[in-house]
Amino acid sequence: MLLEPFRQPYLRRALLQVALLGVLGGVVGVHIVLRRLAFLTEAVQHAAFPGIAIAFATGTSLFGGAVAGAAAAVAITIVLSTRPRVDEDAAMAVVIATFVALGVLVVSRRAGFQADLTTQLFGRLSFVTPGQVAQTALVCVACGLGLGAVHKELVLVAFDRAGAEALGYRVARLDAVLYGAVALAVVGAVQVVGAVLVLSFLVAPAATARLLTERVLPMMGVAALVGAVGGWLGLVVATEASLHHDVRLASGATVVLVLTLLFVAAGLVRGVRRLVRRPAGVGA
Amino acid sequence: MSRLLDTMSTGFFRRALLEAVLVGAVAGLVGVHVLLRRLPFFVVTMSHATFPGVVVAGALGVSLVLGGFGAGLVLVAVIVVLDRQRVVADATVTGVVLSGAFAFGVVLASARASGSRDLTAYMVGSVLTVTRGDIVATVVLGALVVLVLAALHKELVFAAFDPQAAQAQGYRPGMLDALVMVAVLVTMSVAIPAVGTLLALALLVVPALTARLFTDRAVPAMVVAASAGAGAGFVGMVVSALWPVAAGAAVALASGGGFLVALVVRGLVDRVGRPAPGRVPA
Repeated sequence: MLLEPFRQPYLRRALLQVALLGVLGGVVGVHIVLRRLAFLTEAVQHAAFPGIAIAFATGTSLFGGAVAGAAAAVAITIVLSTRPRVDEDAAMAVVIATFVALGVLVVSRRAGFQADLTTQLFGRLSFVTPGQVAQTALVCVACGLGLGAVHKELVLVAFDRAGAEALGYRVARLDAVLYGAVALAVVGAVQVVGAVLVLSFLVAPAATARLLTERVLPMMGVAALVGAVGGWLGLVVATEASLHHDVRLASGATVVLVLTLLFVAAGLVRGVRRLVRRPAGVGA
Repeated sequence: MSRLLDTMSTGFFRRALLEAVLVGAVAGLVGVHVLLRRLPFFVVTMSHATFPGVVVAGALGVSLVLGGFGAGLVLVAVIVVLDRQRVVADATVTGVVLSGAFAFGVVLASARASGSRDLTAYMVGSVLTVTRGDIVATVVLGALVVLVLAALHKELVFAAFDPQAAQAQGYRPGMLDALVMVAVLVTMSVAIPAVGTLLALALLVVPALTARLFTDRAVPAMVVAASAGAGAGFVGMVVSALWPVAAGAAVALASGGGFLVALVVRGLVDRVGRPAPGRVPA
């Protein structure tokens, strides 16, 4: 029952896709969690949406559209927050609101748009193409190489920004590498899992792993594992429900739900662990 | 032009126009409090949190406004409790849990036969199908929100600028924060039939930010923001009558366009005139 659905080639592709997203969540997600960039990720995921919608309507590359949308959003956020009366939070909120509205507007120009809109917001995991899987694999390799090359420095900046600056590292350039990797990961995943659910795919496994371990490299390993296992369980549940119980469940959303439950379970495990073992040297 | 007049004379369009203008005005006014307390991301969070409630309400056949309100109330309670326990609510945890809640709503909706049509209406609204009841709810609840915020105006502004001093004078800043959150929640709930959970952000934050470009004072900002919100509602509805585009998205985009125009005007005024009030000249 746990392996049987994956005899179907389309589900095997979906499984491969969620496994790759798991790895991506391990590599990029851990940095997102360490640096608390969840809201930046949220802004980029919403910003990619009109880019994809426009690319879809004009028949150009969806990936290019997503990259253009994300780049425009980041640029606008930076320009807006340099205005004296606009802070960064408000700027990102304006960008999210306007870009989502633009995406909905573009999609709504087409007849029967509800189905298109649902696809672009929530993705179609079970209909992933071999090309998309290959593209996610490429994004994985690019992010892995980019972040791996400056891994030590990124971790240093995450834990002690001022210290890294004092040691002579160019913190702004390291930020740029990291933000670039986050944006690339989001646009790589957004076509498959949709503009609303990307955040969970990238961040939930890493947040789960952080509850279980303190060290960065094991955290990445655990996150990748959690992402892959959660993806596999979610696909099994969605397929079982639709094949044997006649309940259609959106597969991407089901995977996200499983990932969230794993996160909550890890939180409970940590709570119980804390109850039975008091950390040494901490009063109160 | 005659097509516009034809559309505008129909009953359902006039209802929709009234609803969009009312929602825009109330949301614009509440938005000033959102900015004063730096709550824009609370609004983003709220838009995710209300979603599963709206889906459940749709499935049970009860009012969407009630469903969204119930789910949002849970979120406000959780935030207030976490704050009291001095647990720092980390953006990561919030993001993960709320995306999970959103996914729960999507899964629920996808299990229903009319899945994607319902989902769309919950997220981006369906202003052309608002009922007389929706409008009455908007008027009554909107008036209630405005009255409460007006009655506590001085205390709210004081606690937003200086929570410690407010506490020292015997006010309870935590409760005032919670009050503003509930006001945001009520506003978002009444906005759901018109612009949906996803686009309410465009009316709750953007008009207030537009007003903020021109004034540092709370009450004038509220007047400007309410006008900007109502104007966005009007312009968006007219655009959607002229061209076949989703009305909720047109309203949200009109709000964003208003901000852009205000930004350009502000830049021009800065260039030719005296510096903006409150800004130290270089």
